[in-house]
Amino acid sequence: MLGLPYWNPLIWIFVFIIALALAYYFRSRGQKKYKKGTAQTEIFLSGEAPPEAEERHVKAHNIYWGFFETLKGYYKENMRAHTGIVNDYVIWFVALIALTAVILFVVGLL
Amino acid sequence: MIITSGAILGAVVGTIGLSFFGIFCGLLYKGFDRKIAAHMQSRTGPPVIQPFLDVSKFMIKDTVQPERALTWLYNAAPIICLASMITVLLYLPFGGLPFTPILSGYGDLILLVYLLIIPALVMIVGGFASSSPFATVGGQRKMITMMSYEFPLAVVAIAIAWKLNALYPGESVFGLAFIYSHPLWGSVGPLGIIGLLLLLFSLVIVTPGQLATVPFDVCEAGPEIAEGVATEYSGRNFGLFYLADAVKTIAVGTLMIALFFPYDLSPLIGISGPAGHIVNFLFFLLKLFLVVILTVTLPRVAVARLKISQVTTTYWGIVTGIAVLGLIFIVIG
Repeated sequence: MLGLPYWNPLIWIFVFIIALALAYYFRSRGQKKYKKGTAQTEIFLSGEAPPEAEERHVKAHNIYWGFFETLKGYYKENMRAHTGIVNDYVIWFVALIALTAVILFVVGLL
Repeated sequence: MIITSGAILGAVVGTIGLSFFGIFCGLLYKGFDRKIAAHMQSRTGPPVIQPFLDVSKFMIKDTVQPERALTWLYNAAPIICLASMITVLLYLPFGGLPFTPILSGYGDLILLVYLLIIPALVMIVGGFASSSPFATVGGQRKMITMMSYEFPLAVVAIAIAWKLNALYPGESVFGLAFIYSHPLWGSVGPLGIIGLLLLLFSLVIVTPGQLATVPFDVCEAGPEIAEGVATEYSGRNFGLFYLADAVKTIAVGTLMIALFFPYDLSPLIGISGPAGHIVNFLFFLLKLFLVVILTVTLPRVAVARLKISQVTTTYWGIVTGIAVLGLIFIVIG
């Protein structure tokens, strides 16, 4: 058996609080001021007018775009199997139970 | 596990000491990286201390709060990012510093792999909180990159722990102190050596992804999305992200040294005691320098940026395949 991993969350929280205090101290040494309400606070979009705040975010179905693009062959097959018809899901369920039973039977014979 | 008073004292002193060490060395190595990269491109480049000058400049520039940003989260992200990065240093063994890992016995390699995720996640959250379209695209890409390189990184960690467990059953093989004091190169056969080389190669490719450097810097991609999650960050907030990045360079480089090059120089030249520790520490700094040059500077100069879909293909397809092959070789070798 592989040696078990271990960690102590309490001491991590303790050092994290110390590190937070240090980081906060470093930040407090910096310039606090800025010109509120000027062009300085406008969102940068390469000179274009930024869209409304509600439309600035990546939509949920696009969050994993890189993954979907790379693994589109895999996802395409999976989506084809997900017809939304309950009968199809029951067929999959029964077929997989039958396959599992066959495997267990063969393994039992060996 | 009981927390002793010695551990608490060590944690306080260690956090303060290692944070200064990590920041100083990180900025210095960033300076070396920029200087050497410049010379590779036949440029003079900035002075080695340029990152120190950059940080001091960031601290005196305006810290702009963009309109419609979620201010408290936007401001908290750089602080949490740097703090979480500093905590990683306490679990790492630094050659020549015999009291490291300071939190040895309170966390291991698996914890370290997870802790390295926190700074990247916090940057993503800060980017989303800034309400910038560029930052949200950068955050999305950073998340995909992170998910991509975690797979081969986990394979490398498990392969090394598995081999150590086979050689030293019953020991705490996930502990960084144990891994550092038990180099694998001399304990495996020819196939094992090939396996280790493949795992090392995988980690060399994973490292630029962890540090968001070329060719895996699509999440920042300056000319395209203007530094991604950091687009709207300026002044002291950006300065903290910069410091966290410097510390991460040290942490990731030290992790590679602990896994693959955990050798000290003092036994070879017959020096012991405090002088031996100094020699080992200098040797460690040299190893770290070489690791940074190999994994950050060389790829940055030699290759171009990959697209996000290519990042996933590279990590999940090629690098994970190489790491699994290394795992198989190390098991049979």
